[in-house]
Amino acid sequence: MKGPRKLIEGIGGGLVDTSRAAIELWLVYVGTIAGIIRGRRGGRPRGEIVRQMYSVGNRSVVFIIVTLGFIGMVMTYEACLQLQRVGIADYSQVGSQYIKLIVSDFGATLTGLMLATRVGAGIAAEIGSMKVTEQVDALRMSGVLPIDYLIVPRFIASVVMTNMLTTLGGTVMYAAGGLTAQYSFGVNPSLFYDLHLLRPRHLALMLIKATSYGAAIPVVAGFCGLRARGSSDGVGWATTAAVIGSSFAVIVLDFVISAGALFLFGGDL
Amino acid sequence: MAAYIEFKGVTKAFGTKPVLEGMDLAVNKGEVMFIIGTSGVGKSVTIKHLIGLLRVDAGEIWFDGQRVDDYSEREFEPLRRRIGMVFQSSTLFDSMTLAENVALPLRKHGKLRHADALVEAKKRLAQVYMDEYAERYPAELSDGMRKRAAIARTLALSPEVVLFDEPTTGLDPVSARRIDRLIRELAEKLGVTAIVVSHDLPSIFGIADRVAFLYQGIVHAVATPAELRASPDPIVQQFITGQSSGPMETPGF
Repeated sequence: MKGPRKLIEGIGGGLVDTSRAAIELWLVYVGTIAGIIRGRRGGRPRGEIVRQMYSVGNRSVVFIIVTLGFIGMVMTYEACLQLQRVGIADYSQVGSQYIKLIVSDFGATLTGLMLATRVGAGIAAEIGSMKVTEQVDALRMSGVLPIDYLIVPRFIASVVMTNMLTTLGGTVMYAAGGLTAQYSFGVNPSLFYDLHLLRPRHLALMLIKATSYGAAIPVVAGFCGLRARGSSDGVGWATTAAVIGSSFAVIVLDFVISAGALFLFGGDL
Repeated sequence: MAAYIEFKGVTKAFGTKPVLEGMDLAVNKGEVMFIIGTSGVGKSVTIKHLIGLLRVDAGEIWFDGQRVDDYSEREFEPLRRRIGMVFQSSTLFDSMTLAENVALPLRKHGKLRHADALVEAKKRLAQVYMDEYAERYPAELSDGMRKRAAIARTLALSPEVVLFDEPTTGLDPVSARRIDRLIRELAEKLGVTAIVVSHDLPSIFGIADRVAFLYQGIVHAVATPAELRASPDPIVQQFITGQSSGPMETPGF
């Protein structure tokens, strides 16, 4: 009897912990929105949003350009290669379909995934270190709300910069894909850079996705940082959890938003 | 007469590991009470309960005639103006100068304007002989200086009670005795009640009014330093004489 009982206790305990974590994550999100409404009354430091924009945005530019550029090249190369293999030497649709895909999905999602690793890890490590060295407790003792001080500036910066980086990354991806198509398969640039399939709804989808990812990453990473316990191992745990959690959030949000768009627009998307 | 601060049957566990198991302790107004005990016995955990940084699993905590353990985070805010805490590490914010660090609680709790808070912060730094370093960043200072600045930040709101979590740990003996003197002066000149978590025997025997010895989740003994020295209890004797062998059970050894 001991074995099954232990198993049930283990499953039950896991469910309780997961539910508790989900509620706490939701409370961090609600607290962040409330913190934005409170403004600087909650203790947000002067100039912090600009500092965080620099940290989230400017410091990610090279990383985003390089990764999305290479992914763009690989995707176009593979698309043209597959067409060639099945005996369709007509590449006229590659560019117009490709830009539709970048704007409605890949630009934002790949940027979001890249930022989840770089920015998510940074936020969790920073807040986690402050947590284990009792600086978060010191903030509470000073009358400052830790969410307002630590998460709100990162949230605002991340939402703005994820949109900007998505635009930049998508552009680089498109340009890199065009060059690959031109030099590897001889596709005419005027044929590749054809925007006639692009619709305002694709741009709206990009904005919705980039904003959602930009909002999710600092909340998930900040939540993981605030849950750090102990010492350096606790910070390590928080950093790993933040990368996994924020990447997972990006993928789930991508699915939910894409499914919603498909439901609204159907085959017209 | 009821005690100024009272812990009644406080129980706290982290996961499956019990730390406090029905701990009782009473602290009088204006006294310097030391909480001593081996590492991991729950000394810091005890004081953090008083200001809501940790929540009790069971038991009650009373402060100045009010039960505070069931306070909400919002209710703890005014209490944190009356009770300050000096943390084990200095916990100064690296992105701020010392003056800005000390000004932070003055702006948030004290509702002072930024410029006024900075002027006031410099006065507080002068109380701990740190005013000439007001524009320096924490990373530019020694541990002892950071600790003094952290004390200035805690004293900025003129609290009635100050909780010190190992204030002399990691300091050279001279700096440690200066911190001791500061704690004693706070009690004698300003009537501040101090609860000090420490392992530092010269501090304990130098400035404590009373000492609470925490062992196995409860207060094993409360006594004046002189009574503690004379205690026939072998566990107390083993701790204060620092002997490695004896009746005391220390997990992990």
